[in-house]
Amino acid sequence: MSEQASKEQNSIPTSKLQRSGKFVKTGLKVGSNYLKHYSKKLFNPELDRTELDEGNASDIYESLSELKGSALKVAQMLSMDKNLLPQAYVNKFSQSQYNAPPLSGPLIYQTFKKYLGKSPDKLFDKFELKSTNAASIGQVHKAELHGKKLAVKIQYPGVGDSISSDLKLVKPFAFRIIGISGKELDIYMKEVEERLLEETDYELEVQRSIEFSRACANLDNVVFPNYYPELSGKRIITMDWLEGLHLREFLQTNPSQELRDQIGQALWDFYNFQQHELRAVHADPHPGNFLITNDGKLGVIDFGCIKEMPDDFYYPFFALISTDTLNNKSETIQAFRELGMIHPSDTREQIDFYYGMYKQMIGLFAKPYIVDRFDFGRTEFFDDLYGFGEKISKMPEFRQPRGVKHFIYINRTNFGLYNILHDLKARVKTDTYQPHFLVQN
Amino acid sequence: MATKESIKKAFVDFVLTEGTRPKSVYVFAKKQKMTEAEFYKLFASFEALEQGIWTDLGKTVIDEVKGQDVWSGYSAREKALTFFYSFFELLKGSRSFAIYSLQHAPKGLSTPRVFEGLKELFLSFADEILNEGLDNGELSNRKFFSKRYKDALWAQLVFVLHFWVKDDSTDFEKTDEAIEKGINVTFDLFQRSPIDNLFEYGKFLAQNSDAKEFLKFSGF
Repeated sequence: MSEQASKEQNSIPTSKLQRSGKFVKTGLKVGSNYLKHYSKKLFNPELDRTELDEGNASDIYESLSELKGSALKVAQMLSMDKNLLPQAYVNKFSQSQYNAPPLSGPLIYQTFKKYLGKSPDKLFDKFELKSTNAASIGQVHKAELHGKKLAVKIQYPGVGDSISSDLKLVKPFAFRIIGISGKELDIYMKEVEERLLEETDYELEVQRSIEFSRACANLDNVVFPNYYPELSGKRIITMDWLEGLHLREFLQTNPSQELRDQIGQALWDFYNFQQHELRAVHADPHPGNFLITNDGKLGVIDFGCIKEMPDDFYYPFFALISTDTLNNKSETIQAFRELGMIHPSDTREQIDFYYGMYKQMIGLFAKPYIVDRFDFGRTEFFDDLYGFGEKISKMPEFRQPRGVKHFIYINRTNFGLYNILHDLKARVKTDTYQPHFLVQN
Repeated sequence: MATKESIKKAFVDFVLTEGTRPKSVYVFAKKQKMTEAEFYKLFASFEALEQGIWTDLGKTVIDEVKGQDVWSGYSAREKALTFFYSFFELLKGSRSFAIYSLQHAPKGLSTPRVFEGLKELFLSFADEILNEGLDNGELSNRKFFSKRYKDALWAQLVFVLHFWVKDDSTDFEKTDEAIEKGINVTFDLFQRSPIDNLFEYGKFLAQNSDAKEFLKFSGF
């Protein structure tokens, strides 16, 4: 292990006490950034928030990058919701998708012996002890067996145990960034905790990866690695090594519009096939989970996070998006009630208010669905979307979160998808996999 | 005919079933269908026997880690990590005995008798890997202190042993974390660090009279 790497590793705080210390420190720093900002603003009212946001983002990132595992995951999750976060946060947080300190060689051996009963050099013809990249709760190694190149993902020890305590720490702090607070968050936090804990179960991930890659095998231009359950375990996943570029690297090669459309189409089909045909979706559409192969296909390499959509969420939600329900006020309000966006205790004024706002929001979100082709390169669409997000994030009426818990991951999935398509500037045929509706009697 | 091995096995079995040492060598020997004299030919006492079990454990681990293909390519840090992981992996197989032995060892400042053999073995093993690290520059050679590095590693082993006894995480993952973090921190201290530079700078200033003048001049 290089000296640099081992140094990084030693600076990971271990106990909850130490971790809390980290967050307290960051909280103080963020506080002082605000103080600096407002005292400067006193003299210069024109001062842009960007400087403040940048200061905060880098302090938060510094603190998060020293905590591995779930805290890093939360950082990634925050960076997904571009619509909720100012750009500076996003840039800093995106870094966390690529960096995390590595495990020592002996610990890798130990993990193999523990879960597969043999050391990696006995299991594979070749195994590179130096990891190629980090995967937030684990790291990836290159290996070879019978002339086949493999990717071996190894989980950091103790991640599962620390998730719950990490989330408790991140909670007050994450919500200050997003700007919401209150006890009602617990139901949402539970949802996040459940998904995160699922992500630490590598046996489940292998099983799902195999299921999903089989179910999606017929999609055009989407490829999956083969998974090897006999070389996988609770903390280890072995799959084929896919050659290709990450999205950011791919975009740097100046791909043609045609190629970008092809990748964008593959992504769209992949997600909408899952949403409408499987009713369960790969809910982690961050760029690190995809590769663009040399022959212009989309490689999907991580099924850690799957969100299942129950019928009582799926039908009302997609009825709003792709039928003319939105043109019928009472039907729309009915759907909003089913989705927890309008509460039974709301007054007439509140109903009218939330009806108006949510109708506008869903109308915006549904734009790609109501046409048969959509150009995700258009910045106006995204400006509208972020602008709207920005607007409601400042409204006191939206301080308390609304909507059923399923929205967290479904929003993350769909906005994540839109964001990647936007980065790709892809033009996509959006009517390939259509939502299903309940037949009205 | 009883061998050292078979007696050790029988002893561990006895301790685990009865939760205590046999009342006397006579009782134990009788149960094993041997004479007291035969027992004493192999071990001086139960304590010596228990000590032998721990020492054997250490020997097995050292032989195993040295036999790994990757061993020769490892740094001193990685060698120490490997020893620790293998030691606790092997110990899992006799966890109940280890806990018994640890809890029944007299508490005091010095190493309990039953661990003396293991300690001696471990220290000479640690000496070996540390010297390699000192020779190739991985570790910082500090007067007086470098000779104590191995004691710091022994202290780590004792610490992790106690940690492991209390560890209730699945598959003892917390112990893995404790090893990874503890050994890395220890080796960071063994490495060249800013403290060495500060020390050398101080030495330089002390040896250089001009610098002394400057210090006086600047009011230090």
